[in-house]
Amino acid sequence: MTLYHFGNCVALVYVPYYLTYKFSGLGEYGAFWKCFQAGLIYVFTQLAKMLILATFFPTSDGPGLGGFDYLTEFLKATVDLLDLAGMYLVLSGIPGKGHAKIVTAGVGWGGAELLLTRGLLLWVGARGAEFHWKYIQKCLESNINLVQHVTTAALVWMWTRHDLKKSLVPIVTFLLIAMTYKPLVMEGVLEVMAISAWSALATKALVTVVFGIITLQMYVVLAESIGMF
Amino acid sequence: MLLGNADEILDVLKAFVPYYLLFALPLMIIISPVNPVAAAQEFPAFRMQQYDLHGVPHGCRSSVVSLDGRGLNNWSTSRHCIITRIEDLTADLYRDIRTRAGALIVVLPSRSDIAKLSDTAKQHIYNIESTMMQQDSQIPVYFTSWTPEIQSILDNMNDMAPAPSKMGTAAEAMFSQISANGYQIVLSAGHPQVRTEVNMGTIYGKLVGNGHEDKLPTVVLVAHYDSFSLMTGQTFGANSNAAGVAMLLEIARLMSSLYADSRTHPRYNLVFVLSAGGKVNYQGSKKWLEDQVDGENALPQDSTYVLCLDTVAGSGPLYYHVSKPPKEGSVGDRLIRSLNVVAEQEEPPSNVQLNHKKINLAEETLAWEHERFSMKRLPAATLSSVKSHKDPIRYSMIDVKEQLDISALARNTRIVAEALAKHIFALNAGKVFNNQLGVEENSIEMWIDYLSSMSRSTHLLSHKAHQVVPALKDALSKYAKNVKVTYMVPDKRDPEVTFYDPISSIVNVYSVKPAIFDLILTFAIIAYLLIVYLVLQNFSTIYHVSATVVGARKKYD
Repeated sequence: MTLYHFGNCVALVYVPYYLTYKFSGLGEYGAFWKCFQAGLIYVFTQLAKMLILATFFPTSDGPGLGGFDYLTEFLKATVDLLDLAGMYLVLSGIPGKGHAKIVTAGVGWGGAELLLTRGLLLWVGARGAEFHWKYIQKCLESNINLVQHVTTAALVWMWTRHDLKKSLVPIVTFLLIAMTYKPLVMEGVLEVMAISAWSALATKALVTVVFGIITLQMYVVLAESIGMF
Repeated sequence: MLLGNADEILDVLKAFVPYYLLFALPLMIIISPVNPVAAAQEFPAFRMQQYDLHGVPHGCRSSVVSLDGRGLNNWSTSRHCIITRIEDLTADLYRDIRTRAGALIVVLPSRSDIAKLSDTAKQHIYNIESTMMQQDSQIPVYFTSWTPEIQSILDNMNDMAPAPSKMGTAAEAMFSQISANGYQIVLSAGHPQVRTEVNMGTIYGKLVGNGHEDKLPTVVLVAHYDSFSLMTGQTFGANSNAAGVAMLLEIARLMSSLYADSRTHPRYNLVFVLSAGGKVNYQGSKKWLEDQVDGENALPQDSTYVLCLDTVAGSGPLYYHVSKPPKEGSVGDRLIRSLNVVAEQEEPPSNVQLNHKKINLAEETLAWEHERFSMKRLPAATLSSVKSHKDPIRYSMIDVKEQLDISALARNTRIVAEALAKHIFALNAGKVFNNQLGVEENSIEMWIDYLSSMSRSTHLLSHKAHQVVPALKDALSKYAKNVKVTYMVPDKRDPEVTFYDPISSIVNVYSVKPAIFDLILTFAIIAYLLIVYLVLQNFSTIYHVSATVVGARKKYD
């Protein structure tokens, strides 16, 4: 709408990241460079994903059949598994200890995504004369994504640990896969139920928080058992 | 070993990454899903005419709009730009808007709907048009055609709360202020500027009679080819005066085949003039006449008769407008007689009525084109299917092809062509044109189609590069000899007529929120961020709580 509105959106989108960075103690570790590295790995992962998508899934010219579309979408979502590999790379590549490592990975990854996908959108859209709720919604969605990325980082980290309880391994694996296919499932559900953008956002937030809490529980168990604080 | 290599690779990667990013980052930005154009509504709009005639300003004097959009029922100040359908506008409302509002956008029926308008609806539009033409406007006035998108904007605007003062409590007023959806209307046309290059081309050609050219009598047929309405950019002028041009060209076609055959070569000269600037006080015929008088082949006053064709597609009787009643036995008198004879033979019978109106030099513009010639003492008349020169169809935006009666135009063309042929052959009975050689509706319709397919306002046609003048010249060259174009250029110091750009622009409609809404939004965001802050600051507490929960569960295990 105006520069002021743009300011509002930027505050909404970036301040939570800043607060997370600050209050998780990353600032004290001097983890900015690590976050930056995580961001670089994010960029490379996205490039790799794009190459694969462009090679194997050229944009179809017309709307195909419903079933076929779902299959394509499913395969496209499968490419998102590369995100997990990227996250693994982040976790293994970044030296660090304990909680800070996971938060660094999450914030770096999410921050890079934020800059690349939201920055221009907000600059072009929210600064224009036209008002639309979608910019505020996008900003809130980014906040949800922060929780999701930290959760993913924690899950990937747990998955790599050999001292993870055997009974928890299936749950962790399930959650990782669920995280990957969540956007696809959400999209399908939203299209079928035809609910408004705000309820969709609320559903997304709810699902992400539930995933986050489950992950936190398991993470606590693991962290306690190996004596990490 | 392998691990050491991996480290080296990572080092190389680190060294090259920043340069690589220079390409990668812009690429990402381009690829990332951004859709900046989905925001505003856009539609074309045409500015109300602006011109000076003999130094007197006419029309709309400004062009730039950046204001709040409002409907007819809830505007209040000069900060509002009003969008309304022409059906809802009245003359009184327009006068009010003209003095108090900031800008006006009038939505006209779409072209396909114009043909379906009832007579009362048309009359309403004519009334508004004449009101708008009478007084020039200091505020920008634009016209646009109706589309469903514009209708939805109109509906939303009319639903908006009226003025805040009519609200109950202060809280209610404030709430309505915050929740209100506003529209910002932006028309970023340049400021009005004088069109520097004006060339009004008058096309003329001749069919020479059998005999000594200078000694033969002459009939001059004149039709102006420009049209005129409030909306310079969308002036199609089907009846006024594409119909006159089509009639003239059809008569030229018929006559040329008579002149081509030595057995039917009449002892009469015919001159065809397609004049420019007919709507700006007949500047084209004025120039042509000056050329003729000054030039070598001046028209002799005693043996020349000028017949102008103007707005000839009506289904009623034809009117024979003169500024001096024709004397018994004069050319004019004989022409009316033969016109009436032919008109009565039509099915159903029609007639031609003489309408005498003295030239009023006190008026700003001449009423009919023949007055230009009458003032130079050439006997002249105008044939038209409208009785008064003030008839709104001659200046209307809704004079489009869709509401033109082609069969009536063909009938009128038959009457004029036959009467003219009778006159030049001095026949009293019988028919000159028949099925083999007669008026063809197709060829008339072709010209109407072509001419009314584009805006033919005087303003646009006075571009030297405009396609109409060469097209008409080519057409006339097929029938007449010695076809030429004479250009009327307004005087540099004291121009007869001045046109102003721009004539069209793009309306941008943005849906906006009031400034106070942003402030409230800021408070909401601050509250939200505060919650985030609290959650993050107390994350260790949450962590410990979940540790205890899990620990407790462990105990039960």
